[in-house]
Amino acid sequence: MGKLSEAIVALNKERVLGAVKAGIKSNTDPIQLIEEAREGLERVGEEFEKGNYFLMELMRAAQIFKEAASLINPKIQECYEDVTMKGKVLIGTVSGDVHDLGKGIVATLLKCRGFEVIDLGVDIPEQVFVEKIKEHDPQVVGMSGLLTTSIPVMGKTVKAIEEAGLRGRVKVIVGGGVVGEVPTSDIGVDHATSNANEGIRVIEDWMKKE
Amino acid sequence: MKESLSRYERIEAAWNLEEADRVPVSPLNCYILAYQGGISIREMFHEPEKFTEAVVKAREKIGEGDQEDPNITTLDHLSLRPKSGWDQVTLDWRIWDQFPPEGNIPSFFEKCIIEDYDDVMERGFSTLLFNKKIGKDVFNRSLEDFLYYEFEYPEIYAKAWRKFVEEHEVPLIMGGRATIPFELVLYYRGFAKFVQDIFEQPDKVKDMCEFVLEHEILNALKQAMIMGAGEVPGAEKIFFQAGVVGPPYISPEVFEEFVWPTLKKGVDMIVKRGFKAHVHTDGDMTPVLPVLKDITKGLPKGKVLLDFEKTDMKKAKEVLGDKVCIWGNVPASLLCYGTPTEVEEYCQKLINDCAEGGGFILATECETPWNAKPENVRVMIDSAIKYGQY
Repeated sequence: MGKLSEAIVALNKERVLGAVKAGIKSNTDPIQLIEEAREGLERVGEEFEKGNYFLMELMRAAQIFKEAASLINPKIQECYEDVTMKGKVLIGTVSGDVHDLGKGIVATLLKCRGFEVIDLGVDIPEQVFVEKIKEHDPQVVGMSGLLTTSIPVMGKTVKAIEEAGLRGRVKVIVGGGVVGEVPTSDIGVDHATSNANEGIRVIEDWMKKE
Repeated sequence: MKESLSRYERIEAAWNLEEADRVPVSPLNCYILAYQGGISIREMFHEPEKFTEAVVKAREKIGEGDQEDPNITTLDHLSLRPKSGWDQVTLDWRIWDQFPPEGNIPSFFEKCIIEDYDDVMERGFSTLLFNKKIGKDVFNRSLEDFLYYEFEYPEIYAKAWRKFVEEHEVPLIMGGRATIPFELVLYYRGFAKFVQDIFEQPDKVKDMCEFVLEHEILNALKQAMIMGAGEVPGAEKIFFQAGVVGPPYISPEVFEEFVWPTLKKGVDMIVKRGFKAHVHTDGDMTPVLPVLKDITKGLPKGKVLLDFEKTDMKKAKEVLGDKVCIWGNVPASLLCYGTPTEVEEYCQKLINDCAEGGGFILATECETPWNAKPENVRVMIDSAIKYGQY
């Protein structure tokens, strides 16, 4: 692991930005820089899943990554004009639930890990998910919810996606609150979790298989 | 089976770390009381007598726990007291007529309300209370409306609950409610900005937590006095909410540095003024149990309870058993989606792990969801009788 990754794992913003600036100054390939920063972020995710880091550290690592990326991205555009994203994820909190926090964390982490994220916001009706899938053609749909009552709503939303003939085109992941504790077979999703980093890892695995 | 103690005596024995006739049981019932009692959320929030009548009906369906939560939220949610309040600031206060799917229950309101800590510390909480982001309706309400909810409604509310307690001999879970400053500030600021603050301006966060504390506790004590503390059993208890203050949200180090000082100080303030502190936690507090061991330091016995959500209860009993009464933790998901047999097995294990020697109340993790299966809540209450005899 390089200095940049190590500094991200240490959550040391000054060291991260210092390493990025030094890399840019010495003409290091900006793709290499961003990948190294991502490696650090992934490592933070692993530590989170092991219970050594907590949600606050996960969020902090993403914030530092974003600052680093804001320095690196203009260089990438200069050198490569365009960058391929890992995939496209449509995400939203389901109808009847206005909780934003968990969804916001997952959306931020996905962006940092190189995904294009379309964040629909909170309290999103089933038909809006359907329409937005048609509009954006994502590979993955993420639904969030904190309330116990959001679980059947997630099932209804999947059903609406099925009825629109779109279910075969997307993987569906649900997360938040007690979602990971409930059997998901009834609601027809591909994965359910209460752990933000596990969700990111599952989505990355899906994209690798595509 | 004949019960030799009153509900309040049973609860008090647990707080005092003594064995009662049996393990007390107290699901933290909130919206389920209105739902199973057949009233709307609007009625729950505006018609106290109808609400307490609904509680009686609900208890027939979901079983009779040893206490009920009077939902202090509804005591002064439309009052204009200068409270910093979790209720005022962090909830999306749409009061619905119906439960889902036609309506909903009030939910968290997650957005950045505090732009500048210094401004709030200098000018006080009115800057929050009159913030248009959170109090749009404040500007549309009539003077009569203000006066009613400020002075009359809380009294009507407390009177209805006093009547309920006296007629049914069911004590209250709480008389007032406060929130730990760390959590309040987190919600005021929004999670992303708050995380940044913890790392970039930690002293400002600590100052703000100190600033919030006294105001928050005193407001809760005032609520408890209105509810009849000293006369109405249970009204002397302050529900001190410490939600997202432990793993997996924050590390034990952040807990110790940022949360613990005001948590301990708040508990001391409550107890030293003659009240009792029911500290409600979410998440898994297992890694910080050694710190929580000092929660009763310098305080008389029987004044503090720790309420756990995902914490390892067996471990909590081991670490805290001789210090403080523990409360928990039948999972919300089990009450909604599990079977009565699964709930019964869970309760039996909890009782086996935690009941010995007293100091344990069988309860829900966080609250009983409004859509919990009535038969599951009932089996929880029956389990205390079946497995919890001392």
